Amino acid sequence: MSLLGILYLFSTAAAASPSPVAEERRAPAILVSRQLLASEHLAVGDVVTLSADPKGARPREFRIAGVYEPVPDPARLGAAPLEARLHLPDLMDLTADPADPIASDSVRSINVKLTSANDGEAFARELAARVPGILVRDMAAPDDSDVTFVVLDRFHLAISLVTVIASSIFLLALMVMLVDERRDTVAILRLIGLRRRRIFIQVLAEGLVIALAGALFGVALAVGLEGGFNRFFQWRYDTALVFVRVTPAIAARAVSVAVPLGIAASVAASWSLLRRGAMALARR
Amino acid sequence: MTARVWAFALRSLVRQPGRAILGILGVAAVGALLFDMLLLSRGLLVSFRALLDSAGFDVRVMAADAPVLARPRIADAEAAAAAIRALPDVDELVSLRLGNATATGADGRPQDVFFLGADAQSRRRPWILLEGQDLGAVGGEPSLVINRQLAKGMGLRPGTEVTLRGDCTRGVPTAAPPVRFRVVGVAAFPFDDPKAMTAGARLADFARTCGLDEHGDVDLFLVATRGAGAAAAVRSIRALRSDLHAFSNEEIVARFQQVGFSYFRQISTVLSSITLFFGFLLITVLLTVSVNQRFAEIAALRALGFARRRVVVDVLAQAVLLVGTGGVLSLPLGLLLARWLESILHAMPEIPENMHFFAFEPRTLVVHATLLAATAVLAALYPMRLVSRLPIAATLRSETVT
Repeated sequence: MSLLGILYLFSTAAAASPSPVAEERRAPAILVSRQLLASEHLAVGDVVTLSADPKGARPREFRIAGVYEPVPDPARLGAAPLEARLHLPDLMDLTADPADPIASDSVRSINVKLTSANDGEAFARELAARVPGILVRDMAAPDDSDVTFVVLDRFHLAISLVTVIASSIFLLALMVMLVDERRDTVAILRLIGLRRRRIFIQVLAEGLVIALAGALFGVALAVGLEGGFNRFFQWRYDTALVFVRVTPAIAARAVSVAVPLGIAASVAASWSLLRRGAMALARR
Repeated sequence: MTARVWAFALRSLVRQPGRAILGILGVAAVGALLFDMLLLSRGLLVSFRALLDSAGFDVRVMAADAPVLARPRIADAEAAAAAIRALPDVDELVSLRLGNATATGADGRPQDVFFLGADAQSRRRPWILLEGQDLGAVGGEPSLVINRQLAKGMGLRPGTEVTLRGDCTRGVPTAAPPVRFRVVGVAAFPFDDPKAMTAGARLADFARTCGLDEHGDVDLFLVATRGAGAAAAVRSIRALRSDLHAFSNEEIVARFQQVGFSYFRQISTVLSSITLFFGFLLITVLLTVSVNQRFAEIAALRALGFARRRVVVDVLAQAVLLVGTGGVLSLPLGLLLARWLESILHAMPEIPENMHFFAFEPRTLVVHATLLAATAVLAALYPMRLVSRLPIAATLRSETVT
């Protein structure tokens, strides 16, 4: 159970332990998150005092048996996961309200692992019908956090679209300048007998080569930057989350957008040259 | 730069309209994205701050520095509230309890609502009344203010009745009997998300609905300060009650800046850098190629008596014209784009309706203009260098032979 903000860590007392064996018998074991260990300067084997009360009432000692890396949670990016994991009886003993006789026999939730994950919805329906008053939820069903990532995905797509539009204008400007510079060459080609169709195919082939090379270079650049980008943000947020992953599907999508755009830009830019007669191109 | 310089630069651009238009459009697209990223970098902070300030409270006091659902309540709240009210920096204090309830209207259809109880003896309220009356300070039948979403969803309006069954102990159903409320007003609750169904009642009615002690614990104190302001009030509250956690709006915003949605600040920084680099590259390439194609013309101008400085300034003026025109176009384009992106992001769950990812501040315009101006100057440096080092005689000879 995650204890962020519920339990209060009061002190460490490793040095004062009388005997490791006796201490082990007395203090139950807990696991603490890597971030909690670092922020409170703890070490494995230390004995810490935990309380469920902000004023430190009813404290209990626990021995740090190990450290774990919390499951990265994108929804809590930037918030250090200061967490500890206790055995359930220890946690109930620590947090139960003494005035409530059934508190030590109640849990907030029970996680169930089904033999087949596909049965989640049917199981939830059946259990809710059999045990009225409890809330049963299929974890595979979409919830708010899924919606958050769907929205982020749409946002990224929208940003990509704007970037592609800006890049296309840039590309078109470049191709227009390139074509301008090659006006004389095209004029000579036309004058020595090459047909419009032949030059058009050449422009198309050139556009394809340039676009393909650019797209592949872009994918290679993304792959090259992937590690650095992830390392920077993992350091920045102290998390094991992976921020950028260039998958074959994403690379294929990038190439499939970039290549037709590149070809279209070169054809659009060359169109005015291809339409003109050879003499007009040669300024005669 | 004189008008003559600008006119000359403009003529150079107009002579190649396709290229100039593409350059301007490119800068406009890049500038629009840059403008949006600048709006995004501070949008949430600006609108969050506006939300915090909207109800007129500038300090919030809670029992622990922890998320709402994991936070203990303020015990012995009446005594704590009285002690804080007595502080000289405190103008007003409103106690707040948060919970849930099931509302049943005339049609008998149940509806889950977010239910809050507030101290109604103060002048200020944690909501803004839109229609009808506010809750009376004391006495009378249980009354309720509801948000527009709830009013619309259940067909309620001031004067109608609704029954609430409380669920205020975080998931544990209450044994208290349902309470019949009369809706007295429709209000805007600043932190409501677009789908939220919210109702507010007096603390006593809230406690009755939830089966709680009226004089018991509360979730939050909202404090309005006077005199020395929020910082002084926070210091006084901390000195008075070290067990409580008091935060001014500035501190809450600063904390939000550290953890809340910092992803958007990061992505805006990354994309701003990329768009600026992109703009720089676009202008540099356009000007460099343009200058390369005009070597003969520039050399001829030099031979006719144009000073080196004059032709260099001409290149800079072209860069400024391209970036300036594109930059001006980028503002309306950026605002349209921001509206579209805002509509996408606002579909996120639990985002208050009045919170915006893209919020306009005058400083954004200044930063946008400064960054674009710096880009224009940097982009012009290389072509300016080419022009300044152009050998007149050799260029003229080479171009003539060619």
